[in-house]
Amino acid sequence: MHESTVFPTEGLDTSPGKPRLKRVLLCLVDGGPERQAIEAGEIDAVIDYADRKVILFPAAERALRSTSKPTSTREPHANRILAALPSPEYRRLQHALEPVMLTEKQVLCEPGEPIRYVYFPLDSVISLLATAGSRRVLEVGLVGFEGMVGIPITLGVDVPSVRAMVHVPGAAMRVPEAQFREAYEKSRTLRHELTSYVYAELAMARQIAACSAFHTIEQRLARRLLMTADRVQSDLFSLTQKFVACALGVRRESISEAAGRLQKRGLIAYYRGNMQILNSRGLQSASCGCCTRIKRSNDHIRSDQRSMGGDG
Amino acid sequence: MSPRQTRPRTTGADSTTTVNLRLYIAGSAPNSVQAVTNLKRICHEHLRGVHRLQIVDILEHPQRAMSAGILVTPTLVKLSPSPATQVVGNLSDTEKVLIAIGIRG
Repeated sequence: MHESTVFPTEGLDTSPGKPRLKRVLLCLVDGGPERQAIEAGEIDAVIDYADRKVILFPAAERALRSTSKPTSTREPHANRILAALPSPEYRRLQHALEPVMLTEKQVLCEPGEPIRYVYFPLDSVISLLATAGSRRVLEVGLVGFEGMVGIPITLGVDVPSVRAMVHVPGAAMRVPEAQFREAYEKSRTLRHELTSYVYAELAMARQIAACSAFHTIEQRLARRLLMTADRVQSDLFSLTQKFVACALGVRRESISEAAGRLQKRGLIAYYRGNMQILNSRGLQSASCGCCTRIKRSNDHIRSDQRSMGGDG
Repeated sequence: MSPRQTRPRTTGADSTTTVNLRLYIAGSAPNSVQAVTNLKRICHEHLRGVHRLQIVDILEHPQRAMSAGILVTPTLVKLSPSPATQVVGNLSDTEKVLIAIGIRG
């Protein structure tokens, strides 16, 4: 029965960024029952008869991945910071690492409340939101497999200044605050990696601040989509317009209009909560360039690390 | 109302005619799970004892879906009594499903 289905790879195309899904969807009759059901978010997969493949929608793909791979067997090295640790240092931290599944909109920490755990995302993405009043927020950072949530602890502060909310659900490894602190003090590589990461996160926040002040909603949306794609390492991901509107601090209608314009230009395809980047280069041109600047500062840090042989 | 009066009937067939249904799903993807749950509830309420349900997982048997001309999943196909009909989606709209399988006209 379906409950015991093992996620197969044979005959199944889930490779990201291919125009296959768009091509198949274009073959469906406009206004037909299949199209209507897709727009209502009620479809998990389409069949590509040209290539004789089954293509899953992002939400279905994610759900199947999470049920087929128990969190305990996920590879912690999918996180770049954990992957950088030499074996002895990783082993010291290993006993405290706990695999967890993060759900959409789960709050990992709140401003002013003590940090209980630090999180190393594996395939989840966490949005860092600066609060302005009880209801208004602005995204000032995005953390994926390359980073960690709980940076204030590395600076000797145990309460965050931002809310960390899960944007893309998925797996992460978490460590209780006290054990992380202990490992941080003992591991030179961890300190080195996180010092660089703190700088990268700071650079990202500064760039996003400038972007929010000077760029159009369409440019900011394009930048946000590219940043998400970088972190999920796929051009296909789940995303609601409501969440993005909230993260960018704008009205939902404005995001809807901007997404509509990008879609009309053939840069993205958006089907009720499922986003696909169809033309990554085109989307980069449509964006403000802030995503490239953020990426470039990350690359600088990583190349500096390599030249310093940062593996102490 | 007596139990006999609530016994479901299929259009154009007597109450003993077996309704053959086939549901194409994609593993345990959210809409597929929902479709199975919804369909089992509908069958329990409206087709108790007079239906046969077959579930085809297209991730395991893509060829079966292709040979039936299925475009998306979940898709529910009523194979018999004729005419064959189908409905796509997670089957949360009970009325739509009942019309498709010929219980409501």
